[in-house]
Amino acid sequence: MPPSSPNFSSSVKLKYVKLGYQYLVNHILTLTLIPIMAAVLIEVLRMGPLEILNLWRSLNFDLVQILCCSFLIIFVATVYFKSKPRTIFLVDYACFKPPNTCRVPFATFMEHSRLILKDKPKSVEFQMRILERSGLGEETCLPPAIHYIPPTPTMEAARGEAELVIFSAMDSLLEKTGLKPKDIDILIVNCSLFSPTPSLSAMVINKYKLRSNIKSFNLSGMGCSAGLISVDLARDLLQVHPNSNAVIVSTEIITPNYYQGNERAMLLPNCLFRMGGAAILLSNRTSERRRAKYRLVHVVRTHKGADDKAFRCVFEEEDKEGNVGISLQKDLMAIAGEALKSNITTIGPLVLPASEQLLFLLTLIGRKIFNPKWKPYIPDFKQAFEHFCIHAGGRAVIDELQKNLQLSAEHVEASRMTLHRFGNTSSSSLWYELSYIESKARMRRGDRVWQIAFGSGFKCNSAVWKCNRTIKSPSDGPWADCIDRYPVYIPEVVKL
Amino acid sequence: MELLVFVCALSLVYFLFMIWKWVDAERDGVCYILDYQCHKPTDDRMLDTETCGEIIKRSKNLGLHEYKFLLKAIVSSGIGEQTYAPRIMLSGEQDKPTLLDGILEMDEVFEDSIGKLLCRSGITPMEIDVLVINVAMLSTVPSLAARIINRYKMRDDIKVFNLTAMGCSASVISIDIVRNLFKTYRNLFALVVTSESLGPNWYSGNQRSMILPNCLFRSGGCAILLTNKRAMKHRAMFKLKCLVRTHHGARDESYNCCMQKEDDQGNLGIYLGKTLPKAATRALVHNLREIAPKILPARELLRFMVMLIVQKMRRSSSNIKSTGGTKAAVNFKTCVDHFCIHTGGKAVIDGIGMSLNLSEYDLEPVRMTLHRFGNTSASSLWYVLGYMEAKKRLKRGDYVLMLSLGAGFKCNSCLWEVMKDLRDGNVWKDCIDGYPPESLANPFMEKYSWINQEHDASTFKFPDQ
Repeated sequence: MPPSSPNFSSSVKLKYVKLGYQYLVNHILTLTLIPIMAAVLIEVLRMGPLEILNLWRSLNFDLVQILCCSFLIIFVATVYFKSKPRTIFLVDYACFKPPNTCRVPFATFMEHSRLILKDKPKSVEFQMRILERSGLGEETCLPPAIHYIPPTPTMEAARGEAELVIFSAMDSLLEKTGLKPKDIDILIVNCSLFSPTPSLSAMVINKYKLRSNIKSFNLSGMGCSAGLISVDLARDLLQVHPNSNAVIVSTEIITPNYYQGNERAMLLPNCLFRMGGAAILLSNRTSERRRAKYRLVHVVRTHKGADDKAFRCVFEEEDKEGNVGISLQKDLMAIAGEALKSNITTIGPLVLPASEQLLFLLTLIGRKIFNPKWKPYIPDFKQAFEHFCIHAGGRAVIDELQKNLQLSAEHVEASRMTLHRFGNTSSSSLWYELSYIESKARMRRGDRVWQIAFGSGFKCNSAVWKCNRTIKSPSDGPWADCIDRYPVYIPEVVKL
Repeated sequence: MELLVFVCALSLVYFLFMIWKWVDAERDGVCYILDYQCHKPTDDRMLDTETCGEIIKRSKNLGLHEYKFLLKAIVSSGIGEQTYAPRIMLSGEQDKPTLLDGILEMDEVFEDSIGKLLCRSGITPMEIDVLVINVAMLSTVPSLAARIINRYKMRDDIKVFNLTAMGCSASVISIDIVRNLFKTYRNLFALVVTSESLGPNWYSGNQRSMILPNCLFRSGGCAILLTNKRAMKHRAMFKLKCLVRTHHGARDESYNCCMQKEDDQGNLGIYLGKTLPKAATRALVHNLREIAPKILPARELLRFMVMLIVQKMRRSSSNIKSTGGTKAAVNFKTCVDHFCIHTGGKAVIDGIGMSLNLSEYDLEPVRMTLHRFGNTSASSLWYVLGYMEAKKRLKRGDYVLMLSLGAGFKCNSCLWEVMKDLRDGNVWKDCIDGYPPESLANPFMEKYSWINQEHDASTFKFPDQ
């Protein structure tokens, strides 16, 4: 629940009090050290230089002691440096820009819908209402096979879409980073709903002729949060293998999963999911330190599968007529909120500044001991992060998170605009959002980014990145030709 | 005085060096298998010759030529009378598989293998930190991994990975993930579940190159419990020594030899090309060449190098093409006591046996597994291991080499050290005494050999019995 807002003048005074408090708590170490250093300085000045020289001469070391001390220091230093986790850099990433021929404006979508579901006008109307309130724009894209009436989801068409999306993104990544295919040590591909044999990772290895001792993994079924799961796996692998490059390909292949029935809960994904993909290069090589865009700070994964309701809320099943589709339950938002709370509980202590943590602790103690009626303190995550990338799962998800985390419209602008321009591209949407922030030239060195994604299961995964260098607005990329038009105003309901 | 200082310094350096080595070893971590449990489906799913014949008769798309081809394939497959098929094949619905059938098939595997494993080992589901599932041909939302987490109520900070489409070599890839996680984090329990989904992947067409998987693949699965807690050393069964993965996807003929696609009529199936044996051999040789230096003792490596040099000198000095004489071959038996080979089929086993120079005794576990359980895809290695255990062949200090091949084309191998004398029978308990049997021939030939006498495909019809 948001705290009640007091009237204007007292709110200004409160703001200064809050600022002072934050400054005090966050810099407590420096503030306590200053008087100590001042005292030492005064003492030194009082003693005078001659006395200090005498003090130095009175120290008596012999060879063995010096040797022992120096060995110990060197040993401890080496152990410390060796046991530090390796820094993982995000060198660069590339998002797939769908061709204009695949565009699905509202009119096309509704026309298709009317033709395919011609004897079910109620379902057509349902889809229209969803589309009106979806927050999607007119430039989202669906794969070519889905443009057919009726759609032709053969395995060959699905492979065609996979090749189009993945190879475009990979080509773009290799060009941007100058990476040679032979230098890729780890390859992780995640695509939830399409896993042909041989895997999509084998397809990438075949196309780019990657090395035979590459460590490849093909994750699937892990939903819209699979991109961050791949980042987690890459991070763990890069800790073990020094001097390595890891390429992650995140995508969702829509062709085989277009629902062809008329169950309402299953028609929803048809309206929201769109074609998209991204390829990301991670590295732990120190030579990439200067070139890398971001540094990975934390990845936190939360899985709510143990709870039956959470498990069932996004479920792939057959309807009465045998058509396979993904049904979304009505309590999706509530479960997403719960999962987010669990994730925040873990990530909060890692990223929040000391001032927020102290406040949270005090209110917690206060509620437990003094008065349970005190409102729970929601930590201000705007203190910890400059940018937020919330998975563009749908308008409702973004609204819910904006309310829960008390974010301003500018913070969620990247998510809303990505939903408008590209639709819900599943695991790759986070990368489109990051690209939006970079295209708007808002990314400065030292900025912290929080990527949050939800997925079926029910999972909530988040990743924290720190910007390594100020990024100039890129001349290529998915937003290059349209960034000047954004942000657009997205009305509540678009009349169709 | 100088000497004393020197000796002190030297001993200090040595002491620090030993500490350094210990820290390094700690950092590298260990990977122990605590226990594993293979899945034994219920007896009502057994596929004997009768039932096999029934299923083939039921297929509407098959004609005389396909029957002859199938007869030849099944007779020489090395598969026996007691393998298990998915329920949908036995109920006659194999042409219309539903998603639910596929999921329920997996549920049975999980229930049996994971249930028994957790019960026996005394580890509660809440203690599992890492979960890796690999089921090649079924990809659901939420993933099968999430399904297991829901069924067993595991923790919410569990690290879970759901691998698909990685073929018959996927269980070694899952072990690779676990091994890497064990190096980064301390004190973990990991659960690896490997299986294959057959029901939804039945091929209902009549292309010869795509019909083989229908006959060879059988139901099976395995759950393996691993840990890197050094305190559990006394309970561990195996310790991982080495793992090598080779991927030949860069070669077009290796990549295209095993592919899931639609035939001309639009039926989905797995196409096995003619270049498959060659691609497999190439991948296998490459993999063995990479793992050999890591596992062979120095003596054997030296001997091999010497023989290679001698052979080269001999060839260059005598200037004749090497028609006779044995090629210098590495003898893996100097370091490996037992061989766990993926039960890809009789031809695969024969091929590998020949290239590694293995005796019938070495190949017996693999052949018997193929006979008793068929080709259970990624989990076959664990059934072979179970046979060795049931025959009491695994003694403390022995080394077991696991070799698997998969679509892509991949060859993955790993070396395990046996930590204690193993005696438990696992799934082989009730039938191990009957193995090895007198003859491996299945009665298909006797029952259906009359098909070979038929020649006219258009008028051919199965006689009603």
